[in-house]
Amino acid sequence: MNKKTIEALQILSLSLIWVLFTGIAVWIVSLIRESLRLHDAPDASVGISIVAIPVFFTLASILTYVFIGLRKGRKEESEP
Amino acid sequence: MEHAPAKPHPDAALLRPIENPGRSFYYIVGALLLIISYTGFVYFRQLWFGLGVTGMAQPVTWGFYIINFVFFIGISHAGTLISAILRLSKAEWRRPITRMAEVITAIVLAIGGLHPIIDLGRPDRMLHLFYNGRLQSPLLWDVASITAYFTASTIYLYIPMIPDIAILRDRGVKPRWLYEFLSWGWQGTEKQHKVLDRAMNILMVMVIPIAVSVHTIISYIFAMTVQPGWHSTIFGPYFVVGAIFSGIAAILVLMIVFRKVFRLEGYLKHIHFNYLSILLLIMSIIWFYFTFSEYLTGFYGHEPNEMRVFWYKFAGDFAPYFWAMIALNFAVPVAILCNRKTRTILGILIASISVIIGMWLERLIIVVPSLANPRLPYPTGIYIPSHTEWVLFIGGISVFILGYMIFARFFPVISIWEIEEGRHESAKIVTERITSYMPDPEPSTAGE
Repeated sequence: MNKKTIEALQILSLSLIWVLFTGIAVWIVSLIRESLRLHDAPDASVGISIVAIPVFFTLASILTYVFIGLRKGRKEESEP
Repeated sequence: MEHAPAKPHPDAALLRPIENPGRSFYYIVGALLLIISYTGFVYFRQLWFGLGVTGMAQPVTWGFYIINFVFFIGISHAGTLISAILRLSKAEWRRPITRMAEVITAIVLAIGGLHPIIDLGRPDRMLHLFYNGRLQSPLLWDVASITAYFTASTIYLYIPMIPDIAILRDRGVKPRWLYEFLSWGWQGTEKQHKVLDRAMNILMVMVIPIAVSVHTIISYIFAMTVQPGWHSTIFGPYFVVGAIFSGIAAILVLMIVFRKVFRLEGYLKHIHFNYLSILLLIMSIIWFYFTFSEYLTGFYGHEPNEMRVFWYKFAGDFAPYFWAMIALNFAVPVAILCNRKTRTILGILIASISVIIGMWLERLIIVVPSLANPRLPYPTGIYIPSHTEWVLFIGGISVFILGYMIFARFFPVISIWEIEEGRHESAKIVTERITSYMPDPEPSTAGE
């Protein structure tokens, strides 16, 4: 497998991680909307989501930081 | 691209299982796949005929599947949590242990997380969570926290593996594309090390509260009901303590097995087992303290429904399991680990296996007796696990062994770069640290 294909796969995997975590956030928000519609303890739902959503986005951000940082930190780019 | 033959590596023992797995690897994988295939068949039989093929019935509607769910998730605390604590506390002896522990978490969480779906009978009902989930229910908190823990643990396992994956890539180990893909262009530059260190520091801090939240929330599934024996304020910390306890025992067993099978005596020395077994001993005493507090407060309240469950465990049908749990979780490990003469590798193995069985019994003791003696006017329930449940239990353990073997086939179970770093830098770092916190000598005596 050539380098370009591997790079494309790496970018694809990073994009998929963001799609997954955004999906989880959308799901949690939809559950809050459901609890608001049913007047079914929405405050509890909001409380949980305030904790849960940032956790997932922080994890995705760490992975993105590592992947981009490793690529930028390679010798060809660090040594002009 | 052609690669020159790999040069001998100073940590060749860690690369041997990857570069030369041997025939026995394939025989064991084959045997495990047979067991897993049979497990799959038994599960499809359950899907076809429904949960009637299990031993669960009113009022005992939770059995092996939920017991194993709590048990496996508990074992998962072995890895990431203990690894994060050891890394944060800069315990230098952690280096050969952390990865083994982290792998347990990733595999066991995946297995444990499947058990509630198996327990549902109809897995398609999981879709209701997406459309009509109630976020105020502890069951949904569980879904969120286990997903977060699984993700965080997998990332926490993967990021410190990148330098080792690059070693395998550079040695031309097959499948090379996999190592190329997973190493993200690692070359070991200073900038790359900084990025990796920063990410690991953030993850270490993040993972600890997530791990604690997971088992606390699992305990809420029980404690937030008014079921006798479950409605307890200390269930959260009690579950967390039990999880860490069983987790340490699981790490010890795996360390002993890998030490023997891969001849890692040079990496996993007696001192590692000694430190971890002392931790196991401390957790055993803390676990006993929590168990004592839990049952004493229940007994002192003397609430009739609570007492039915209490006597069911202490002197009724579940008494053999209850007292076996006390013996295996407290008497056996304390007797073996308190004595330096019996704290040998064999002694530690016996104590660890004893704890793993004891902690499984603890989950059984928590789940079944409370359901068998409900507040509603039901006759006392009976639960006898069926062949289906036993097979799925054995299948779960087989998936764990297979998952660990496949991991060890492709990646080093001990972090090579951390060992190398430890050899070159640990002594200097530790000396600097000790110097920083030791008081300076008095000026009058300094020159003497």
